[in-house]
Amino acid sequence: MLEVLGLTRVFGDTTVVDDVSFTVAPGRVTGFVGANGAGKTTTMRMLMGVLAPTSGQVRWHDAPIDAATRRTFGYMPEERGLYPRMRLRDQLVYFARLHGIGAADAGARADALLAHFGLTDRAGDLLDELSLGNQQRVQVAAALVHRPQALVLDEPFSGLDPLAVDTMIDLLRTEAGDLPLLFSSHQLDLVERLCDDLVILAAGRVVAAGPVAELRGSGPTRYRVVLEGQDAGWLRDLRGVVVEDVDGTAAQVVLDGLDAGALTRAVLDRGGLRELALVQPRLSEIFREVAR
Amino acid sequence: MSTPTGTSPTPIWRVVAQREIDTQLRSKAFRISTAIMLLGIVGLTIALRLLGGQESTATVAVVGDSATGIVAAADDLTEGLDDAHRLEERRVADTAAAEQAVRDGDVDLALLPTADGFELVGADSLDPVVSQALTAAVSQVVTQRNADADGVDLAALARGTSVGERLLNTDVEDADLRSSAAFFFVLVFYATAVTFGSAIASAVVTEKESRVVEILAAAVPIRALLWGKVIGNSAVALGQVALLVATTAISLAATGNTDALGTLAPALGWYVPFFLLGFVALAGVWSVAGSIAGRTQDLGATTTPINLLLFAPYLLAVSAGDQVKETASLLPVISTMVMPSRLAEGEVPLWQLGVALGGTALATVLLVRISARVYEATVLRTGRRIGYREALWMRAD
Repeated sequence: MLEVLGLTRVFGDTTVVDDVSFTVAPGRVTGFVGANGAGKTTTMRMLMGVLAPTSGQVRWHDAPIDAATRRTFGYMPEERGLYPRMRLRDQLVYFARLHGIGAADAGARADALLAHFGLTDRAGDLLDELSLGNQQRVQVAAALVHRPQALVLDEPFSGLDPLAVDTMIDLLRTEAGDLPLLFSSHQLDLVERLCDDLVILAAGRVVAAGPVAELRGSGPTRYRVVLEGQDAGWLRDLRGVVVEDVDGTAAQVVLDGLDAGALTRAVLDRGGLRELALVQPRLSEIFREVAR
Repeated sequence: MSTPTGTSPTPIWRVVAQREIDTQLRSKAFRISTAIMLLGIVGLTIALRLLGGQESTATVAVVGDSATGIVAAADDLTEGLDDAHRLEERRVADTAAAEQAVRDGDVDLALLPTADGFELVGADSLDPVVSQALTAAVSQVVTQRNADADGVDLAALARGTSVGERLLNTDVEDADLRSSAAFFFVLVFYATAVTFGSAIASAVVTEKESRVVEILAAAVPIRALLWGKVIGNSAVALGQVALLVATTAISLAATGNTDALGTLAPALGWYVPFFLLGFVALAGVWSVAGSIAGRTQDLGATTTPINLLLFAPYLLAVSAGDQVKETASLLPVISTMVMPSRLAEGEVPLWQLGVALGGTALATVLLVRISARVYEATVLRTGRRIGYREALWMRAD
């Protein structure tokens, strides 16, 4: 279990990260979401020990983390960084060996990762001869090459096309397994697809955190009603229901006093029901709400 | 899960050093500069040989037995000269045949009997060394012949006329060789230090610019990176210098310049440890020049102080007077350039070598430690160039 406790970082007069606490549980994918400048990257850098916190601490298995443990983590910094004039395979082998993996094992691991990303035939190419998307894959491979104990990935999907995103999600699911995985992203639909837990940061503070399902359930319950051959406008006259939107035969309502059973009966009594469904709030809505 | 099992892992500094070595050995700049220096050395030793001892052979036509022993005696006389003139005898039937051979260029000159002795016959001109040698040989051989005929003891007659030669300054012959070797030592040191130093600085700033340093910092202790860089680059630089020294020794030996080799051997031997210490002392500072730069363009400014630090002893070693040089050769780090050049120029008392090496060793430890601290504090600060003074007081963030 990776845990962040009261992490704070001040640059000059500005508090960029303010008393941030959250946990990244093993085997769960935790999404780290926030607007630009919310302090995600600074938090992740402190988590990795690249930047010293002004106060607060990072804990691993209920004890303050040490440098040796941190070095077993896989890290993908926001600003991508690899050797531009080094061959892909050499590069991956080098990072593996820096983590103490023997030469033969490092080579096998590099080959396996290159194969997963379909880069086997580019193994001897220099990094800067690759497209940006492929460079990104190598970057992720570099974060995984030493079989890390935890993964901290800053915007791992930025700059990837949809197909590459799928491969990446695939790989992360395989590789992350029982590991704690924290990743930040602007792409909320991706976060929605991939995450079990969510930490939302706004202006350096955690404004919401918890399992995605719980966060979704915390808002008002919405239903979508679609009628057969009649205008949905009459729903406005129904007691205990607030109609948010009507579009011809379809309406979106929030229950306000009425329960789901009563709503269903009321619509059935009127006749001509085509669809009545619970609307899960989209992550973007939760995000907009809490980050406001 | 990720902890390596089985054999203990390779130390990080060695992994880093290995990469630095591979990168250097693969780089065109390194290969080309090494090749140029090697060619330079081989070329210089060959030139030394050519200038130092040209051997030429003159063929002398003689008629019948008239000049028996004379050409051989002349050859003995010229053999010991710096520019050895060898003389070879060719027998011809008569004077006419001899003159014809000279005209045709088959022989260089002819030694022909005349009524009252001999005459030297050449085509357009006569080599003065050859004609002097032959004249002396004629006089020597014929006088001996006459003495024998008259029953005179020539040795007794010549008693007390022997004149020997002795020079008090035995080094005088080597002065040119020594001073050019001294210059060459300094030049190679300067060139190697600047080449490798700039390579270190630019590698460090590239790691900063490409942000790979962020991953490296998360993966390994930052100091291990610095040790690896210093050790890897020093190893390659030392290898290069050892190769140059060995090439110098071998090509001197191969061109028959064993005297020169004997003269330079101690200086060549001492050159290697001085070079190593001097290089390591500065390798750390070069790394700092890279780590305080924000981008590659800043290197010009950040490497200026080191370039000056290297250029000053270079100037001293090349142009300063003996007194100044002696003092400079004892100063830490500066001694690594000045001392080898003094060693090439002549004897240096052992205690001075001790002071120079000891002081430099201490300074090296100090410089590398300070460099490691500054490197650690600055290498993750991307964006702007940091001044040396500011960097000295910075702490790792």
